[in-house]
Amino acid sequence: MRSQAWGWGISSSAWLRRWYCPAAVLLVLFPAPLTIAWGQSAPVQKVTKSVERIFGAGVQVDTINVDSVQVLRVSRGGSLLGFAQIRNVKGKDQPITYLVAIDSADVLKDIDVLVYREPYGGEVAYEPWRKQFRGKTTTAPLLVGKDIRNISGATISSHSVTLGVRQTLAALSAWHAAGRIH
Amino acid sequence: MRLPAYLSFSLLVCTPLLAQESETTSVGGYGEVHYTNSTGVGTPGTVNVARFVVYLAHSFSERLAFRSELELEDTKIEGGEEGGEVALEQIYLDYRFSPAFTLRAGLVLPPIGIVNEIHEPPTFNGVARPSFDRNVIPTTWRDIGVGAVGVLPGSSGLSYRVYLVNGLKAAGFDAVAGIRGGRQEGKEASFANPSLTGRLEWARPGVRIGGSFWYGGSANQDPALSTGSFGNAVAVLTADARYDVGPFMFRGVLANISIADAEEINTVYGGQVGSRIAGGYVEGAYNVLSALAPSSTQQLNAFVRYENYNTHAGVPTGVAVDDSLARRITTVGLSYKPLYNVIFKGDFQLLRNKGGVGENEIASLGVGYQF
Repeated sequence: MRSQAWGWGISSSAWLRRWYCPAAVLLVLFPAPLTIAWGQSAPVQKVTKSVERIFGAGVQVDTINVDSVQVLRVSRGGSLLGFAQIRNVKGKDQPITYLVAIDSADVLKDIDVLVYREPYGGEVAYEPWRKQFRGKTTTAPLLVGKDIRNISGATISSHSVTLGVRQTLAALSAWHAAGRIH
Repeated sequence: MRLPAYLSFSLLVCTPLLAQESETTSVGGYGEVHYTNSTGVGTPGTVNVARFVVYLAHSFSERLAFRSELELEDTKIEGGEEGGEVALEQIYLDYRFSPAFTLRAGLVLPPIGIVNEIHEPPTFNGVARPSFDRNVIPTTWRDIGVGAVGVLPGSSGLSYRVYLVNGLKAAGFDAVAGIRGGRQEGKEASFANPSLTGRLEWARPGVRIGGSFWYGGSANQDPALSTGSFGNAVAVLTADARYDVGPFMFRGVLANISIADAEEINTVYGGQVGSRIAGGYVEGAYNVLSALAPSSTQQLNAFVRYENYNTHAGVPTGVAVDDSLARRITTVGLSYKPLYNVIFKGDFQLLRNKGGVGENEIASLGVGYQF
């Protein structure tokens, strides 16, 4: 993988003014290991907007390292609201960047498709498809054709994102049960 | 004291930005092998590797991607033998400004009907594509041009594609397969008749409804026809729907093609081209495994499809209506999908026409895949 991350504006003072971010300075000096497998990530604004949409505005978000990946811990006023993770899953030829959020009881709160790069099938980002995942736990099958409806003409994306959500939900729940995120 | 939102998010916002952006190259493909046996004397069964397609894509950056499909039909091409084709089916660059607007340029698929854009074998029932998707909508229809694709913002469920591409050539039109022979397929294509094509579609889980159009000239500056950009215009309008509910799957397409100057085209090229081509098909399928093995994620779809189309739905002065072109094709069959991208197919087709000429039946078996 080629390092093009700086092109995203970390070194831009305008960016620093807009997103006051002391940690960024340190991380530029000591680049963190990849937190999201397979390169592509989501723009800041989209992640922010997604977490605020799901958990409400004004929440506190902390980053927890679990092995080599990062989990977002979301709380308000010291009480835990839940966790979220950003991952990529391969669509037909591009990674689909998505976010899975669970509440403090490991119930899936919502998902978001943060960046969709495929030529077809972008409807997996739509609310009517995403809302099928709400309230799911690891006991749900989370399979297209079972508890998740396909979108005709977006079959590969429907299967890919469903698989990704299933894996992410399982990982978050397992880490939470094991006390690795709390 | 609660931290301001921008501080609370500081760790969060730093993390994704530091993820490296990478160039990625991906290879995919699809293919299908057919066994076909027609009734009648002197028509032995045949087996054929109908298609072997390599999909090659590369993302240069977060926004700029290349995509292509290189196809080999009928296993091989050999001098002096009929059949066989090596062809680029698609080759284009996408520049993604936003989900609502991607600029696309290159050899693209006019977004007409269901099968032209999404033609991988596991996506349709029946060994061969519907006959309608050969003789009415000439799949795989591809032309060179530039356009835009995107999903409309919010959750409207609407998406669109619109392209300006090279036009059809009337010299290739015929009575049996309509505009099919007029496609240029990106090979030293004439740009005498720039044509506009597009599609608007609406999708929900289990539902997709779309409408498509094509409008453009076909004269190719032949002085015997017309030298104008829109000379001898061809207008295509189609509507299609897909609906999946529980173990049931339905789909249908309707099309109307107007060739207003068919009389002139026939005079110049000596054909019997209709002035109107119309028809469609409806298909219903039922996943038998939903009853036999409810816990299975595999599918065994029993389907029936009825096609009814006529390439002589309208004829110009000087052409006698050929009733054998008013075709009705009934296909019944099974599709077994152990995974959503692998398919084993079998079907039986009844080919009928209003004239009762050359009617026969075809039994087919096939396998197909995509990845």
